[in-house]
Amino acid sequence: MSAAFKLKVITPEKLFFDGETENIIVRTTVGDVGILAKHIDYVAVLPSGPLKVKMQDGSFRTAAVSGGTIKVSKEGVVILATAVEWADEIDIEHAKRSEEDAREKIKIHTSGVEFDRAQAKLKRALNRINVSRNG
Amino acid sequence: MAASNMKDIKRRIKSIESTMQITKAMQLVASSKLRKAKERADNARLFFDTLYDTMCEISRNAPEFSSVFTKKREIRTVLLIVIAGDRGLAGGFNSNILKLAYRRAQEISATGKTVEIVAIGKKSVEYFEKREFTVRAKYSEIAEGISIYESSDIVQTIMGHYMNGLCDSIELFYTSFLNTLTQETKSYVLLPLEVGEITKGGKATGLTEYEPSAEAVFDSIVPGYITGILFGAIVDSFAAEQAARRTAMESASDNAGEIIGELQLVYNRARQASITQEITEIVGGAQVQS
Repeated sequence: MSAAFKLKVITPEKLFFDGETENIIVRTTVGDVGILAKHIDYVAVLPSGPLKVKMQDGSFRTAAVSGGTIKVSKEGVVILATAVEWADEIDIEHAKRSEEDAREKIKIHTSGVEFDRAQAKLKRALNRINVSRNG
Repeated sequence: MAASNMKDIKRRIKSIESTMQITKAMQLVASSKLRKAKERADNARLFFDTLYDTMCEISRNAPEFSSVFTKKREIRTVLLIVIAGDRGLAGGFNSNILKLAYRRAQEISATGKTVEIVAIGKKSVEYFEKREFTVRAKYSEIAEGISIYESSDIVQTIMGHYMNGLCDSIELFYTSFLNTLTQETKSYVLLPLEVGEITKGGKATGLTEYEPSAEAVFDSIVPGYITGILFGAIVDSFAAEQAARRTAMESASDNAGEIIGELQLVYNRARQASITQEITEIVGGAQVQS
C-alpha cells in the first residue's frame, strides 16, 4: 500500500478530477512517466495521449488528454489540459467522424496553418479512438 | 375633445405595455444566459490562474532563460484586441469598452506608431470598420458558447502576426464581470510578456525538473496561456454583457411601469371629466325642458 497524493485535472471548461490517488501514468513529450507520492518537483509538456489514474479500488482508469502541462509539487499534482475525457465516456462515433474530417482537411489543405490545425485535430481524434479502445 | 384624448392615452398605454413585455422578456433571457456564462467564466478562471502560476514559477526558478515571448523589440505596430458584444441594448456596455480602446488607439498613433485592430463581437467590428485604423481580423457571433479550440484558432492567427513581426506588441481590451451590478472595462498588455511582472511575488522554490527543458516548457505554455486569457476574456465579457443587459432591461421595465401608472392616472381623470360633463349636459338639458 503506497502513500496517496492529491491530483487535480483542470480544463478551461471544468474541474475534471479533484481527489487522491496513489499512482498516475502520463504521456509526456519525452515518454511515459509514472508518478508516485513524494515525487521530485517536476514540470513537463503533454502531447495528446493517455493518462492513467489509479482509483480507490486499485484499478487504473484511463482518460484521453488533448495536450497540456503537468506540474508536480509538494502540494500535489496538477494537470492542465485543453480537454480530457474518460475512456469509457468517449463518443467513439464522434471521434471517428473527426478523424475522417481531419484526414479530409489534410488532403485539401491550402495553407500551412490549415495543415497544422488539421494535423493537430487528427492527432486528438486518433488519441481518443486509441484510448477508448485500450482503456 | 375628451373622447379622442382618452383614445390616444389608451393607445399609448397599450404600446408601452407591449414594449414592457419585450424588455421583461429580454431581462429574463439575459439573466438565464448570465447564470450559464458566470459558471463558465468561473471554471475558466481556475484553469488560467493555475497556468499563470506555473508560468511565474518557471520564470522565478530559471530567470536567465530567454524566450521569444519575453524579448522586447522596438515597437512599430501595436495590435489591439477589442472584445465587445454582438448585440446592443445593454446600456453603456459596448460604448464604454469601444471608447476606451479607441482613445488608446489614438494615443498610440499620436506617437507615430501604427495601430491595428482585431475586433471580436459584432459591435466591435461595426465600430472599427468606420474608424481610421486597419482591422486585421474580425470575429462576429462567437462569444456565446465559444470553445477553447475556437479561441486557440484566433490566438494562432494573432501569434502568427507577432512571430512574423507584423506587430510588436499586443494589447487586450475587454469588460470584466465583477458582479451582477458592476462591470469593469479592462486593458492589458498580452505580449511581450513582462518577466518582471511574472517573477514578482514569492522567490525561487528550488529544484524543479523540467522536461524537455525550462525554455521548452515555457514556450509551449505561452500559446496555451494566451489562448486561455483570450478565452477567459471572451467568456468574462459575455457574462458582463448579459449582466449589463439585464440591468438595462430591468430599469427599462421599471420606467415603462412608471409611465403606464402616470398615463393611467391621466386617463382616469379624462374619463371622470367626460362623465361629469355628460351629466352637466343632461341636467342642463332637463332644466331647459321643464
